[in-house]
Parts: sequence; C-alpha cells; structure tokens
Amino acid sequence: MKNNTNPFYDVSLRNRHAKTKRFKLFTYSSLIFSLAFLLFFIVDIGIKAFPALKQTYVYIDVTYNEKSMRSSRAAIDRKYKKIVSRAYLREIPKHIKQNPYLLNTTVKKWVLADDQVDQYLKGHYSKLKSKDKIFVDELVKSNLLKLQFNRTFFTNGDSKVPEFAGILSSIIGTILTLIITMLFAFPIGVMAAIYLEEFSKDNLLTQIVEININNLVAIPSILFGLLGLAIFINSFGLPRSSALVGGLTLALMTLPIIIVSSRAALRSVPNSIREAGFAVGLTKVQVITGHVLPLAFPGIMTGSIIGLAQALGETAPLIIIGMIAFIPDSPTSVLDATTVLPAQIFTWAGMPERAYIEKTAAAIIVLLGILVLLNSTAIYLRKRYEVKW
Amino acid sequence: MNNRNIILVVLLTLILSFNLQAKNQLRVVGSSTIFPFSSLVAEELGATTTFPTPIIESTGSGGGIKLFCKSNNINTPSIVNVSRHMLIKEFKQCQSNGVTDITEVMIGFDGIAFAQSKENKVFDLTKKQLLFAVAAEVPSSDGKSLIKNPYKFWNEIDSSLPKREIIIYGPPTSSGTRDAFEDMVMLSLTDKLDVYKSSGYKKYNRVRQDGIYIPSGENDNLIVQKLTKNRKAFGIFGYSFLVENEDRIIAAKIDGIDPTIETISDREYPISRSLFFYIKNSHSKLIPSMDKYISLFLSEDIMGEDSVLTDIGLIHLPDELRNMVQNCVIERVKLTLKDIVREK
Amino acid sequence: MRSSIQRIEEKLITSTLLIASIISVLITFGILFSILFEAIEFFELKSFSYFLTGTEWSPGIENSKFGALPIFAGTFIITIIAMIVAVPVGLGSAIFMSEYASYNMRNRIKPLLEMLAGIPTVVYGFFAAITVAPLIVDLAQSVGLESSFNSALASGIVMGIMITPVISSLSDDVIRAVPDSQRKASLALGMTSSETILNIVIPSAMPGIISAMLLGLSKALGETMIVVMAAGLRPNLTLNPLEDMTTVTVRIVDALSGDQSFNSPETLSAFALGLILFFVTLSINIVSVVMIKRFKEKYKVNTL
Repeated sequence: MKNNTNPFYDVSLRNRHAKTKRFKLFTYSSLIFSLAFLLFFIVDIGIKAFPALKQTYVYIDVTYNEKSMRSSRAAIDRKYKKIVSRAYLREIPKHIKQNPYLLNTTVKKWVLADDQVDQYLKGHYSKLKSKDKIFVDELVKSNLLKLQFNRTFFTNGDSKVPEFAGILSSIIGTILTLIITMLFAFPIGVMAAIYLEEFSKDNLLTQIVEININNLVAIPSILFGLLGLAIFINSFGLPRSSALVGGLTLALMTLPIIIVSSRAALRSVPNSIREAGFAVGLTKVQVITGHVLPLAFPGIMTGSIIGLAQALGETAPLIIIGMIAFIPDSPTSVLDATTVLPAQIFTWAGMPERAYIEKTAAAIIVLLGILVLLNSTAIYLRKRYEVKW
Repeated sequence: MNNRNIILVVLLTLILSFNLQAKNQLRVVGSSTIFPFSSLVAEELGATTTFPTPIIESTGSGGGIKLFCKSNNINTPSIVNVSRHMLIKEFKQCQSNGVTDITEVMIGFDGIAFAQSKENKVFDLTKKQLLFAVAAEVPSSDGKSLIKNPYKFWNEIDSSLPKREIIIYGPPTSSGTRDAFEDMVMLSLTDKLDVYKSSGYKKYNRVRQDGIYIPSGENDNLIVQKLTKNRKAFGIFGYSFLVENEDRIIAAKIDGIDPTIETISDREYPISRSLFFYIKNSHSKLIPSMDKYISLFLSEDIMGEDSVLTDIGLIHLPDELRNMVQNCVIERVKLTLKDIVREK
Repeated sequence: MRSSIQRIEEKLITSTLLIASIISVLITFGILFSILFEAIEFFELKSFSYFLTGTEWSPGIENSKFGALPIFAGTFIITIIAMIVAVPVGLGSAIFMSEYASYNMRNRIKPLLEMLAGIPTVVYGFFAAITVAPLIVDLAQSVGLESSFNSALASGIVMGIMITPVISSLSDDVIRAVPDSQRKASLALGMTSSETILNIVIPSAMPGIISAMLLGLSKALGETMIVVMAAGLRPNLTLNPLEDMTTVTVRIVDALSGDQSFNSPETLSAFALGLILFFVTLSINIVSVVMIKRFKEKYKVNTL
C-alpha cells in the first residue's frame, strides 16, 4: 500500500488504519474490563466464603444426668467451658427429655465448638486468651478438635450465636415469598399482556396504560416498598414481615416485567395463525386460548422466570415492610413473619462478630447459585422451545 | 384439564396454610442498642422451650414506640425496647390510642464511649472539651457571643490536649444513641452556659456539619476499621460495641472516669443511660410466650452479674434493683404520667 | 352460531383482561398517592423552596433546617461517577459485540454480561463496602490523598459496573437494528470500520443509545442497597469524590428505620425526597421511551 503508483493510495490511510486498530482495542478492552470485574468479584467472594465450608467440632464426654438437666454447664468438663458452643449446651435439657434412655449415661461425641475457637483455627483474629489457645492447640494435636463439614449452615436458621447460624429459614421464606409473588404477578401480568396485545384499540386509555407499564419497569424499588407499607400493612392490616406482604410487594414490582415480556412473546406469534383461526370460525377468545397463547408460552415462561430472578434479589422494598428482623424459626404459613435470603445477607453484613463475614459471603454464593440456575433454565427453555417463524 | 388440577391443589394448600395460622407470635420492636440483647433472649426461648421464637425487629426507639402506641390490637407489637425513657408526648399518644396498661421494665445500663485506636495513648477529656469539639457553635474568646466552631485541632480547645486533628465518627441523627449523646453531653452542659441562652437558644444540641463530625452507622464493623486505619480519629458508640472490639479500640476517660461496668452502673461515668422495655399487659393472656420471655429475660442467668447478656456487653442491674424490677413485673405495675415526669 | 352463553363468556373474559391491565395504572397512582399525602404534610411544616435550594440539612429539636441540596448533590455525584464508568464500558462492549465479535464469541459472552445484570444489588453493596472501599482508601493513601471509608468513589464505581449491562444490552440491540446497507455503503466509499462505526452507525443508533443511557441513569438514581451499605450518612455538598456523602435513597431508608418520634419532620422528609425521586425518574423514563419510539419509527424496527 505504500506504493505511490497505487491510485487508491491515500497518505492518511496509515493513520486511519491505526485509529481503527486503537478503536477496536478500546472496545475489546471495555468488554474485558467488565468480564474481569466479574471474575475478580466471584474470586473475592469465593475466597471470603471458603472458610464457611467447615466448622470446628470438638470430641468430648457429655454426661446426661439430673444435674445437667437443670444446668447444662454441668454436662461437660469444666475445662471445656470456653470451647464448647453455647448453642449446643442449651439444647441438652431438651435432648434428654426427648431421649430419656440417655439419662445417667456418659457419651463421647463430636459437638459444635465456640466461634472464637473456630476463628482461631481458621487463622482469623480470635478473642481467645493465650492459655485457651494453648489448650486448643493440644486438642488439635491429639485429634480431639478439628474442622468438619459445616452442616449447621444448611440445617439451621439465623442465630445470634455465630457458629450456629444458617440459611434454612431464609431459604424457606424466600420460597414462600416467591410463590406468592408468582401467584399474583403471573396471571395478572399475562392477562394484562393479552388484553393490551390482542384486544385494545389504539386510543388514549391504551397509551396511558402503556406509558405506565414502561415506567413501572424502571421505578426505583424502594418506592414499591413505600407503597407496600401504605397499602398492605396500613390499609389492609396484613401482618408485618410476612411472606404474604413481601410477596405482594414483589408482585407489584414483577408485574410490569411480566407484562412487557409477555407482550413481546405474543407479538412474535405471526398474524397468519390468528387469521387462520378466524377463517375457520373460531371466536377471538378461542383463537387466543387455543392457539396464540400456547405458541407464545415459551416466551412468556422465559420472561416470567427472569422476572422471578429479579424479584429474588430485591432487598430495599422488603426493608421498608419490615422483613429485616431477627427470625430464627422457619415459617410454616404465609402469614408468619419471615426473612428472605438477600435480607439475611444484608443483616449478617452488619453484624459486628467477625465470624459472620464468611457466612455472609457463603450466603451470597448460594444466592448467586440459585440465580444462575434460574437464568440458565430460562435460557434453556428459550432455546428448546423457540420457534422460528 | 391437568393444569386446572394443579392450580386447584396449589390454591388448596395455600388456603390450608392460612387456616393454620392461629398462633400469635410475640413481637418486639425498638432500639437498635437493645436489639442484640433481645434477639439473644428470644433465641434462647425458642431453643429451650416449645414456644415459637419471638420476632425481634430493630426499628429504633422512636419508630418502635410509634408502632407500639398505635393501638392495643393483637397485630401491634407487645413489647418495645427503648434506650431512653418514654417521652411525655409519646406516653400521651399511647393513652389517646387506648394503650393504657403498660409496665416499664428496666433491664440495665449502657454507657456511650468515646473511643480511639488502641495503639494511641490514653486520652482524657472533660465533658466541656467534648462539647466544644462537637458543637456547631461555641462561645467566642470573650465568652459573650456564639461563633461557628473554629476548632480543628484538640489543642485549640485546650492547650493541655495534644496537637491532633479532630475527627469524630458518630451516630447519625436517626439514632437513639445520638439522642442520648446530645442529651447528656450537649443539652446538660449548654443549659449551664449562659452564652447559649442569651443567644436565643432554649436548648442547644446542634452538632457541627463541617465534616469534622462524620455521621456513620453505629455498631458497625466499618467504624472499627476506620479507627484502626485512621489513628487520629475517634468514634462514638455504645459500651457493648466497645466490649466486642476491645482488642482494637480503647475508650477515652471523660472527666477522668473510664467507662467500665462499675462506673456506668453507679452513674459515675458521665455519659451513662438506662435501658428499658415497655410491655402491654393486655397481651399477656393472648400471647402465651410473652410471660415466659419476660421472666427469662429478667432471670439471673440471662441478666445477672456473670450472665449471657453481660458477656455481650450489657451492664447489669445490681441484684436488689433486679429483684425490684421483677416484682414490678409480677404485679404488673401500671405506668403513669407521674412516673415519666418524675424520671425526667 | 354462537350461543348467548358463549357470548357472555367472551365478554366476561374480555372484561377480566381489561381489569388486569388497569391494575398497572392503579399501581402507579398508588405509589404516587402513598408518597404524596405524607410529602404534603412535610411541606406544610417546612418550606418547599428551601427544600430544593437550601444547603443545610440539620434536623433536630429546634431550628431544624431541611435544605436538601447536599443530598441531591450526593446522588448526583455518585450517579455521575457511575455513568463515567458505565457509558464507555457499556457502549464499548456493545460495539465490540455487535460489530467485531464473531457469532460464537457473541453467543458465549452475552450470557456472561447478563450475569452481571443478575447480581443482586445487596451483593454489590457488600462487595463495595468490604472490598472496594478499603482498596480505595489504600490507593488514595499511596498517592498521598485522603479518602473516607465511605467514599463516593467506591459506591460510584460499583454502581457503574451494575448499570453497565443495562447500557450495553440495549445499545447492542439498537446497533444491530441499524440496517446493514448503511455499513456496506460506507465501506464501499472507502471508510475504515472504525470510521463507519463512529460516523455512520452510532449517529444512526443515537436515539436508542441515548435511551439506553437514560435508562441506566434512572437506575443509578434510584439505586438503594449499594449506597446504603457503602456510602455515607452525612449530607455533604462537595465535589470531591473521595469524601463521604449521602444520597436521596439512603436518607429515605434511614428516616424510615430510625429513631425519631412519630410524625416528626425528619420521618416525613423521607416522603418528600421520595416524591422528588419519583418525578425525576418518571421524567427520565418518559424521555427514554419517546426516544426509543422515534428510533423504531425511523428504522421500522419491531424487535426492541
């Protein structure tokens, strides 16, 4: 190209090509930047969450007798007082009542250790005094104290005793809340989409509704919380912090998303199908329910799952309606006060005990895992049932 | 047809779950300072008895009283945690909404510490010096008028203090700890200084807004991080938080007194306050776990000298006082306006 | 022939569907009214003009002043930082994916970017507070500057990452919707690919791109969790991103979960701020929708 005999040669060409290269590099690096952030983020959270996989247990004698029923501290040897978890000790009287054959026996078993011992073993800062640390080291050497898989994280609810805290109640709460959300948002959303796509005429009312829906998609979530507080708790008098109120509030948020994606799905069904239906004498409703809807269904499902995934991660509106409370029990009905996983993460992130940092990070990993699962399902469904017209 | 069956089943389960909800759960709302204590007792109750765990929410003292005083309805909270006395206007609001049968339960003390990184030397301040570090306006050099707070270094307030930049992380305006701090440090002192009164303020509690006092969340991991990274800075928070982090932070002496369990419970330490909860007596019959929660809270194991709560920083009541409180609760002594006015 | 029952059934179903769509309008009005009444109560107590322009926010027992300008400034600065991060990265990624990337690369990368969009904001908040903020403090110290642990920069950067997928995804769709004939014509005239993109494609897609940026802006303005966890609580009127400042959304959460006695101006101020937030995001959204509509008309595109 350097040749002067080439009639198309332009002196500035080299610069322009260089500019192109730089531009391409710029766009490429911005992409890499976002991906790098994603990687950095996941690695950082993963590192923080990793210690939560294991929890410290200690192998000791536990004596079940009259004395230990009244005061659990009597059930174990004095020297283990600082080592064993308080949460384990307080269960002992209940344990004896449920298993009376244990009375007057001494059993050797692995029991949960205190969070300070756990933090020390994991190499973080610990409040253990030096003599306690030496004792712990001895126990480790004689294999009487070690890290084991952390079952309590998955089998327990929230707790003020760090070693005992888990995500079970928040997961159940999340499931209940999301069921309520979909129960309300899905039918109403799809019905509204059907009306707007199939039935509405292009008049002022329709335009207002359309503008409304497009707006609602982008309104800050915290305003939905204020609405939920005003309507569901103050006017309707529903119980605060319940899965019902949380689900309804999230339903308000998810509704516009479902409407928008369902409309897109309905729109993608070609008119020829509808006209064919009319041609054989079907009513409009029959055409829609029998033909258009089933064909649009995969798209509607995908949109709903994505809406669900968004609702799953919301915290701000739930703070306003009171789901940030200390609720260790799992809910048994939709009217029970409960918490959800993102709210649990928020609460744990603010706890002063350092043992909670790893639990927060681990809960984040669980939440992200659920979201990846949901999104992958949505994408899979879209690919599988996508019909190309 | 199949879809319809599925829908019916789902609806049925939901309807059933609505019916099952007959149990009334104990709801406790209120102060964020008392929240860790309440939560611990609630968890103990749930774990050691067959009662469902009470629900504890940290709404702040004022917000908690608002929910508590709304009505006597079973939907409203039965107990409210308050890190100060109930105010006269709050009591009146309760009365006018029909919430008339309430008992005040004192549970302990709290001191507000003024702390810094442990790597610094011990700091000794008077309440007055603290006031001048924090107030938005201070007396001018001739003492006759008020000027905008010019002090940027501690030695400008008093030459006996070191030459150190003033940086204070304190509770935000929405916090009960802030209310208590303003009350005990600012209001009580400026009441005695005529120059504030003569400048037209009946009560003065304005904190400076020039960036030297930085509002932060209290009981925050971040505050400790800030204090250890920025050794010049101080933090204002409750005693329980000081105890949680005594490996990294150390409290300053105020008027020569260290905040310890003893000095706070005898009110020797100048910035101490009492912690309470208020109960709706009418809810006792309706919520079976309520009485057990209260008696568990007041028991020696939980609230006594070497107890679970003192382990996490509660400053306990002396035994006789605790017994008195227990008796008050057993007899359900009704709170009257006179009690509130007197305690002021 | 249709029986009358069938006809009634049809009408019933049509009405039900209509009601369902009216619900969305009800929601908007619901939000508006739930905030409006309390906000009006607030403005009866405190001056509206001072609220918008005053620079001192000091609630308290007496002589409380509610000038919200520092709070608006805080929101503004953090949002600007977020946009500075998100617009180049988002637009750049969109351009790369639509113009330069191969089909396979695009299909593998697009889901990854969607992942960024799916991360809950509370998780971003945790990350901002625990990892990014201390990092910025250290970096600032190493160059001799002083940064707060609640710096606007920390929340701004993380917020920028959060809205990048919004901008990139919508821009990507818009850029792809520009007819290929334009590109081909430009290349035929001898322009390089970057010149084509910068001079032909982007300007054509401009309404859509602006709409994408406005959507991102609106999201940043209304973002709550990241700032609640990583930004400060102090209304601070400053241009220094290393200082701590508070935003409208943080104030709303703080006022509604705080310790004041009921019906105090401070609690009501949350609703006044909420009202402003509602109208600002509403206006931005309307402009955004109008722009997309214009773009659709221009290119007769139906897939957006």
